[in-house]
Amino acid sequence: MEDRADIIVVADAAGDRVDPVIYEMLAFARRLQTLAMGRIQIWLLGEGPQDAAWEVARLGGTDVTALCCPGLSRYLGEAYRRILEPALAAAAPRYVVTVHSSGGAEWAPAVAARLEAGCISGVDGLGTQDGCIWFSKDRYGGKVKGRFASNSALTVLTVQPGCFPFENPPEENRAPEAAAGRVTIKTMAWQPEQTRLTGVIPAVAKAANLKDAQIIVAAGNGIGEEENLEWIHRLAEGLPKAMVAGTRIVCDRGWLDYDRQVGVTGVTVAPALYIACGISGASQHVMGMRGSGFVIAINTDPQAAICAEADVCIVEDLKTFIPMVLDVYEKQKAKQNGA
Amino acid sequence: MNLLVCVKQVPDLEQMAVHCGSDGVPVIGEPSEFRMNRFDEFAVEAAVQLKETLAEVHIDALSVGPEAALAVIKRAIGMGADQGGLLDTGDRADPGPYEVARRIARYAAPKRYDLILTGSWSEDGMNGQVGPMTAALLELPCATQVMALQLADDRRSVAVEREVEGGAREQLQLRLPALLAVQSGINRPRYPSLSNLLRANRQPVEIIPGDAGEKTIDPVVGLGLMQPPRHRSGRVLEGSLEEKAAAFLALLKEKAFIH
Ligand SMILES: Cc1cc2nc3c(=O)[nH]c(=O)nc-3n(C[C@H](O)[C@H](O)[C@H](O)COP(=O)(O)OP(=O)(O)OC[C@H]3O[C@@H](n4cnc5c(N)ncnc54)[C@H](O)[C@@H]3O)c2cc1C
Ligand SMILES: Nc1ncnc2c1ncn2[C@@H]1O[C@H](COP(=O)(O)O)[C@@H](O)[C@H]1O
Repeated sequence: MEDRADIIVVADAAGDRVDPVIYEMLAFARRLQTLAMGRIQIWLLGEGPQDAAWEVARLGGTDVTALCCPGLSRYLGEAYRRILEPALAAAAPRYVVTVHSSGGAEWAPAVAARLEAGCISGVDGLGTQDGCIWFSKDRYGGKVKGRFASNSALTVLTVQPGCFPFENPPEENRAPEAAAGRVTIKTMAWQPEQTRLTGVIPAVAKAANLKDAQIIVAAGNGIGEEENLEWIHRLAEGLPKAMVAGTRIVCDRGWLDYDRQVGVTGVTVAPALYIACGISGASQHVMGMRGSGFVIAINTDPQAAICAEADVCIVEDLKTFIPMVLDVYEKQKAKQNGA
Repeated sequence: MNLLVCVKQVPDLEQMAVHCGSDGVPVIGEPSEFRMNRFDEFAVEAAVQLKETLAEVHIDALSVGPEAALAVIKRAIGMGADQGGLLDTGDRADPGPYEVARRIARYAAPKRYDLILTGSWSEDGMNGQVGPMTAALLELPCATQVMALQLADDRRSVAVEREVEGGAREQLQLRLPALLAVQSGINRPRYPSLSNLLRANRQPVEIIPGDAGEKTIDPVVGLGLMQPPRHRSGRVLEGSLEEKAAAFLALLKEKAFIH
């Protein structure tokens, strides 16, 4: 009989390797453990996640259960629902933790609804208030965060990547053999009845090569009209090795091609300078640019979430600010040349 | 073929001021304007496009919310939906994703929709839960972040492309009935047409009151708001427009981005 776990971290191990974000989820689970007590266990799902299970048990120092799901060579929502609903109902943990990825964000609410569990998506912090454990997440476009507590015996949490770094980087600081967790291997029979994965289209080759840019001038919905993109282009032209990028909204409108989209479903960039023009700073965008060297935000709203992600904020209408910058720059150059 | 599209009314975030309360807790001002959740416009457009290309398609637009949410139902009809329904929440404007999903599921179950469409998430709640939860409660197959959809000729399945990290796409085939949470960018949502808006104003919207007798337990409760933690200093440049422009350029020089 295996030991009961209070916190179960569920991760996808269908691919060749486990996404190292699992160690962030483990770091989150350990923070939660200090508040909620109990035991942590990791569940890995895949066709054959045994090797991954041994590795995660060793590097993470936590007990791991490898759920071998025949035919699950890639994440499939229906498989997760069919396998996890009964398995979690039987295991009866108090918390289920998974990454807020395209997969986690899909299966977690579904399984939670079936189990009448509380579900909080996109968790980026936790703490206690009046003896209650709360989890924080973005609300209202990220202008504020909300604190939520669960009212249920089971709570399902999807956790934002990048918020809970693993204290011991797994590559450098391996847990000693003695501290390695145990591995349990289980085979889970399941049959797809409703959905079938028929193929995968890889991300388009990034023609724009945003990753090579020293400076990125990025346009958001705040440009208002397509013609105002002109200002973004003109600012970029004035700066060395600068490229123009945008948020999803700008690309959805067709104002920029998708190879210019920065964020989780676009490109991840880390230029020396990132100038965010009319961008609110939604987490899906910020995740794609957080590694930038220096960040300047131009936004009419000083409360926009991007201001907390910027080194310098300029609270102005970009349609008047950028022309003024170009104007002052021209005058300065003329003076330099004249002198 | 019957389609259900779920639309939420959200405050216009740009008009919504956040004040800092005495204890550092942010306070949100009464939103002055409301509109359709931007992500739901893509869901309505996807439904209307199916109606335009296929015969005998009927679209219901449904919202869970206070009576004021009738405005977004009318907008959906203005875009081309056939009929509207409001699951009235009375004074509880937003009962949370689980309760919203339960109410949508209870409404939809007897109607046997072939396809239910939702947006990928709501701009105010930022959960992305209502779609997958509704599908789970109705035991329907579900795909989120849908960027393309094509109905099979026999209308018994739908082929979709689901966008994942980095912009790659998974191709899936789902048996109908199914629920799809569509992603922004799947199409270009149209503006409501005048003739449809006139029809929306004439046509009654079915309003279904909440079940007063039923006690609902919130699986999740809100404990209030907090200020987002700062990841960078966010120093605000002061001065006139021209002074700020000069300061911006001085900064770029200081950091050696320009000479
Ligand atoms: C599953 C999923 C994946 C996603 N992936 C991505 C992604 O990869 N990349 C991405 O970017 N988004 C992504 N999004 C969308 C994301 O959630 C936001 O909706 C989007 O980033 C917001 O874009 P924005 O900042 O341009 O627009 P908005 O949120 O509309 O913000 C516009 C900003 O401009 C400011 N503004 C308005 N007028 C002016 C003016 N005249 N001058 C200056 N400022 C002005 C406003 O104050 C506001 O802050 C994803 C969403 C989902 C659900
Ligand atoms: N109150 C509501 N009424 C109708 N549909 C809703 C409501 N809330 C959410 N939805 C739908 O569910 C999607 C995801 O919302 P959410 O889970 O709140 O982020 C939205 O894009 C809508 O299509």
